Amino acid sequence: MIFQVVGCSHRNTPLAVRERLSFSGTQTRQAIAEFRQTFPGLEVVLLSTCNRVELYTAGEEGPPAPEQIADFLGRFHRIPPSEILEHLYSHGGEEAVRHLFTVASSLDSMVIGEPQILSQVKQACQLANEAQCAGPLLQDLFQAAAKVARRAAGETAIHQRRVSIPSVAVADFAQQIFERFDDKKTLVIGAGEMAEETLRYLRDQGARDLTVINRHDERARELAQRWQGKARSWDCLPASLAEADLVISTTGAEEPIVTPGQFAAVESARGGRPLFVLDLAVPRDFDPAIGGRPGVYLYSIDDLRQACEKNRTERDKEIPAVQRIVQQETEAFLAELNHRHVTPLIQQLRQGWEKPKDEELQRLFHKLPELDERSREEVRQAFDRLVNKLLHPPMESLRHASRHGVPRGLLEALARLFQLKD
Amino acid sequence: MISGISITCFAASYAVVLALEISRLFFRSGVRWAVMVGFTGAGMLAHTLFLAYRAAHAQGSPLSSKEDWYLIAAWVLAGAYFYLACFHARNAFGVFLLPFVLGLIGVGALAADAAPFAGEPASAVWGAIHGVSLLLATVSVVGGFVAGLMYLHQSYHLKHKRPPRAGLRLPSLEWLRKANSRALIFSMPMLGLGILSGIVLNLVRRGPQPGGVAWNDPAVLSTTVMFAWLLIAVLAGWFYRPAREGHKVAYMTVVSFVFLVIALGIGLLIDSGHGDLRSRRGSPGRSSVSQGRPGA
Repeated sequence: MIFQVVGCSHRNTPLAVRERLSFSGTQTRQAIAEFRQTFPGLEVVLLSTCNRVELYTAGEEGPPAPEQIADFLGRFHRIPPSEILEHLYSHGGEEAVRHLFTVASSLDSMVIGEPQILSQVKQACQLANEAQCAGPLLQDLFQAAAKVARRAAGETAIHQRRVSIPSVAVADFAQQIFERFDDKKTLVIGAGEMAEETLRYLRDQGARDLTVINRHDERARELAQRWQGKARSWDCLPASLAEADLVISTTGAEEPIVTPGQFAAVESARGGRPLFVLDLAVPRDFDPAIGGRPGVYLYSIDDLRQACEKNRTERDKEIPAVQRIVQQETEAFLAELNHRHVTPLIQQLRQGWEKPKDEELQRLFHKLPELDERSREEVRQAFDRLVNKLLHPPMESLRHASRHGVPRGLLEALARLFQLKD
Repeated sequence: MISGISITCFAASYAVVLALEISRLFFRSGVRWAVMVGFTGAGMLAHTLFLAYRAAHAQGSPLSSKEDWYLIAAWVLAGAYFYLACFHARNAFGVFLLPFVLGLIGVGALAADAAPFAGEPASAVWGAIHGVSLLLATVSVVGGFVAGLMYLHQSYHLKHKRPPRAGLRLPSLEWLRKANSRALIFSMPMLGLGILSGIVLNLVRRGPQPGGVAWNDPAVLSTTVMFAWLLIAVLAGWFYRPAREGHKVAYMTVVSFVFLVIALGIGLLIDSGHGDLRSRRGSPGRSSVSQGRPGA
């Protein structure tokens, strides 16, 4: 019974290659079905995300060589296998198990701690189940991987530490100010790339009402159209500021576009509502003194970078704890798996002892008919205890040996000693 | 078995939960939440049984002693915490709320020597209205104060660009402002009803005879001043938009709490005769204008 993973990831493969090797949902179904036809004795799950393409296999027969996987991927994507092979890594047995657990717990992600990988891992297994390509081995493996991810999320803060500027801006700050975003007005000043990235996070949180203001009306209209918002002319900046709850500013202006004096003019119109300002421009668009006004929460790009850095440091402190969980779960999973090999023999061994025990008991009760039911029960329990005590040492030895792999030598010896069938 | 439940039983349960809440600041645990909810549930159960037993065996009106009044206030706050712990598990409400629960239990235990008030049938209804409305006003002011503290703490951190600390995650400012505002709005009519029912109760008990609780009684005065403050705060929020700003509402709840502490302190420390009409009238039963609420 051997697990294997062959694949490539952001760690060793350029994006251009990963793009060519990636699979859509439909392609995944088709690919694993074809794989099963080629290797009917193997279970298979294909995990394809923007950061990795990995083929997990399991089965009693030997795993396919990386060259065979490269051939398979090459045939499917019509790429020469030689171009693929150099990017592929391969892990077998315990390493393959550990690798999946590491991936599922997001330790192998491009952004460590990103939570999406768990749903991608689950989805890959579900697809393989639906296509009847994943059997009990891979199902158990992927369930164990989900458990590892749950433990990592529950027992460490690995997922709680965001390290990208837009995610920190939204999750660590905006969400601490506002309970909901669907009734909030978002104002984008300028049209920087970071503004769009932040908008994506805000949209995920439910933000709908978007206004874009730019010195160039055309660019404002373009951005507003892309995000189903409305564009307003530059002259409307004070009015828009008075209405806004969230402001993302990314202009290329060389001087602040909102001074304390200008802000004071709109402040009374705001009626004390809190204002969240993300000033992502360099030089800054909002005078820092505005951040001192009551109800104004002003964050510059440097503030967010510092928060990201702090989060990164905190997150890195969590990595050893997640690694410990991965190690514990890998050992537990393999021990459980190995124990399954041992279980039939243990059952045979127990059955082999049960039969003579029952025979001896019957003979004894036949010879001593004067024994009442209570005495008979006592005798039965004494015999049971004797059998259990005699079986305990070999069972413990088996259990202990199975922690480090299938104890084939011990199994053979026991089978021969006690004349057990295969 | 129920008679064996003591204040220590549920106070200890809440203290364990508070310790667990504080431990969130230092380390993570997969089982802590379940243990916290379990201990809070056990504490609530013991607390409820304790109050039920006392109600069944009260000498005067059920749950109308100073001790009971504080313990019921603590019970309501503990119930609020239980709800928040179950449905807003990520937020560390307990660090702010549970000290007040324990504080109220502590004050209740200190007031255990006070004899229960004997409710006369004619005034029992007014006494109950008086006690319950003032109790709800008190709980609301304490709840608002807790939300106000959390608001100011959260706002301070956000102003200083600090991401939320692991283990001390609080609700959003928007949520806290709403909680503050609602607590303020709820406590005002409750306190008004408490004062009004106190006046009626005073008239009913006094009857045609002179005496009763004087208008210049320190407990009455402090409660009236507190009501005036709450009225101003609520009206300001309704008619002046800037007064709805989160910080201002938070500060208003803090001031309300200060008034509450003064009013309760007077009820506990100054022997003004308020709440002890019996001594003035020389009747054998112990009765009270405050019928279950000390200091009002």
